[in-house]
Amino acid sequence: MAVKVQKHLKPQIQNKKVKLTAADHVFNICVNAFMVFILIAIIIPVWSTVTLSFRPADFLGTNLEGMFLPPWDWSTDAYTALLGNDGFLDAFLNSFKILIGGVACALILTVPMAYVLSVQSLPGRKIINMIVIIPYVFNVGMIPAYLLVKDIGLIGHLPAVFLPGAISTYNCIIMRQFFVGIPNELKESARIDGCTELQVLFRIILPLSKAIVMTIGLYYGVSFWNDFFNAMLYLNDNYPLPILLRNILLASGMNEYVEVSAFGNAPVNAIKAASVFMSAIPMVIAYPFIQKYFTKGTLLGSVKG
Amino acid sequence: MKISRQGTAAAPVPKQMQRSKLRREIARHRSVYVLALIPLIYYIIFKYVPIWNSQIAFKDFMAIDGVLGSPWIGLENFRTFINSFYFWSLIRNTVMYSVGKLLISLPLSVILAIAIYECTRPGLRKVVQTLAYLPHFLSWVIMYGILLALLAPGDGVFNDVIELCGGKAVDFLSNTKTFPWVVLISDAWKEMGWSAIIFIAALMGIDVSLFEAAMVEGANSWQRVRYITLPAIAPVIVTVLILKLGTILDAGFNQIFMLYSPQVYAVGDIIDTWVYRQGLLEFEFGLATAVGLFKGVFGMFLVLFANWLSRKLTDSSLF
Repeated sequence: MAVKVQKHLKPQIQNKKVKLTAADHVFNICVNAFMVFILIAIIIPVWSTVTLSFRPADFLGTNLEGMFLPPWDWSTDAYTALLGNDGFLDAFLNSFKILIGGVACALILTVPMAYVLSVQSLPGRKIINMIVIIPYVFNVGMIPAYLLVKDIGLIGHLPAVFLPGAISTYNCIIMRQFFVGIPNELKESARIDGCTELQVLFRIILPLSKAIVMTIGLYYGVSFWNDFFNAMLYLNDNYPLPILLRNILLASGMNEYVEVSAFGNAPVNAIKAASVFMSAIPMVIAYPFIQKYFTKGTLLGSVKG
Repeated sequence: MKISRQGTAAAPVPKQMQRSKLRREIARHRSVYVLALIPLIYYIIFKYVPIWNSQIAFKDFMAIDGVLGSPWIGLENFRTFINSFYFWSLIRNTVMYSVGKLLISLPLSVILAIAIYECTRPGLRKVVQTLAYLPHFLSWVIMYGILLALLAPGDGVFNDVIELCGGKAVDFLSNTKTFPWVVLISDAWKEMGWSAIIFIAALMGIDVSLFEAAMVEGANSWQRVRYITLPAIAPVIVTVLILKLGTILDAGFNQIFMLYSPQVYAVGDIIDTWVYRQGLLEFEFGLATAVGLFKGVFGMFLVLFANWLSRKLTDSSLF
């Protein structure tokens, strides 16, 4: 199950007697060609955005030509303009608060819930399970949820962004699945030694579940960092990054949402592309860590029989 | 997915003993209940109060009167929705997008998984694997920015290429002909790597001796994919397919909400975006909730059916 970084995913067969046929060679060429095609298909959109963000104001060619502009002709005007803008830094800070608050809240709620559901001998476990599953299966939509947030007075406060999604039942189920897989003998022996359930959770279960807790935490982190819809509904002016980015992207010549001219004399399109890139950067930096855990975690959650 | 370990039914125990045993069990698990308390309160507030609030689907909701104070009007809101001209177009668009995404991204992610598995160049494989998963973690706001740089008229790279080849520039995002394709292809671009993971996992579970035997028997690479690899991951494909069936009414709100504009409402509007506009922009709370509830009830039956089917056919289910 462990995904090791290995040279080939498919174990190579060392059988000298079997010669590769023409069909095999064609197959290998097709596979590699497909991989190169995917690679190009992923890179072109990203590259066009990156080069757009570095485009100097006096560049006159088409975008296609812009993609091949040599790096020494690039201009960082758009980035200096963005970083010098208070609105951008505020939005970044808000995003960060939502991320930290959200992940903390989500784990504090999800881990105990998943653990409770994993205690097989618990009287009433089925009832608790039903309480968790029913809202997951029966989704009444956004208006009733909006009314709730409005009624409890969260409008305009950052927790409004992460509290409604602080337990994702799906994540909770994945975590429970993992907890169930931990050998019962470990838990029982701890209980016999006089551990309370809290101690069993903290001393036995959690140390064995670092990978799954990290993975679920990262899932939550990604969803809170990327959320723009809740932020748009519930916040007034303490906007996180995605909302600022959305406003910048939707601002046409009319400057309806933000004064693009507030960003100095860099071209509007370069500002847009630069803000796309700046919003993506934290995720790209965090990505190697995410990748390390998520492949493991996804496999734990999905394949386990 | 769930293995129930119910105790074996032994000789019938007298009722009184059963009850005292239950009491003892409850007492023994006191601290577990304490642990469950805060999450359960959270569930009551954030998941069950909205269900309670959804009664306004049957009411003429006035913000001043509140959920309880608004007058009942029976099925009026549902009638308005079903009789309106947008009813069928909303359903059609929603199903079209979710089925279309499945048709494009499922084969693509299976092929990608097989290509990653079979790739003979480790460097290429690692780069593709890393890059293909990445877009899944980008928000649709960022995706919209990337699509603008790529597709926008006048400043998109795509249109430059079209003009270079002698064609006419197209505003892909506000043209009713091209918009659905932008939605489907951008979704495939973003999610194909991520959806391939589960297939890669299944591929890595294949017994290598099968390939070895097939090789000795003279099967070439194509035949090995056809007769070993595909049958081996078929159950996973079926599971994914069935579980997707359960969410067929979720066509990707965030994506469409970011990409669409009034020009393409006719082909872009799905149930969720319509509920948003009707409820939160035009304050038709009752009508919007009714539509949300309509979708919720259908969605529930679909999920339960998919779950049941999955358990029947593949022995794995979500709950």
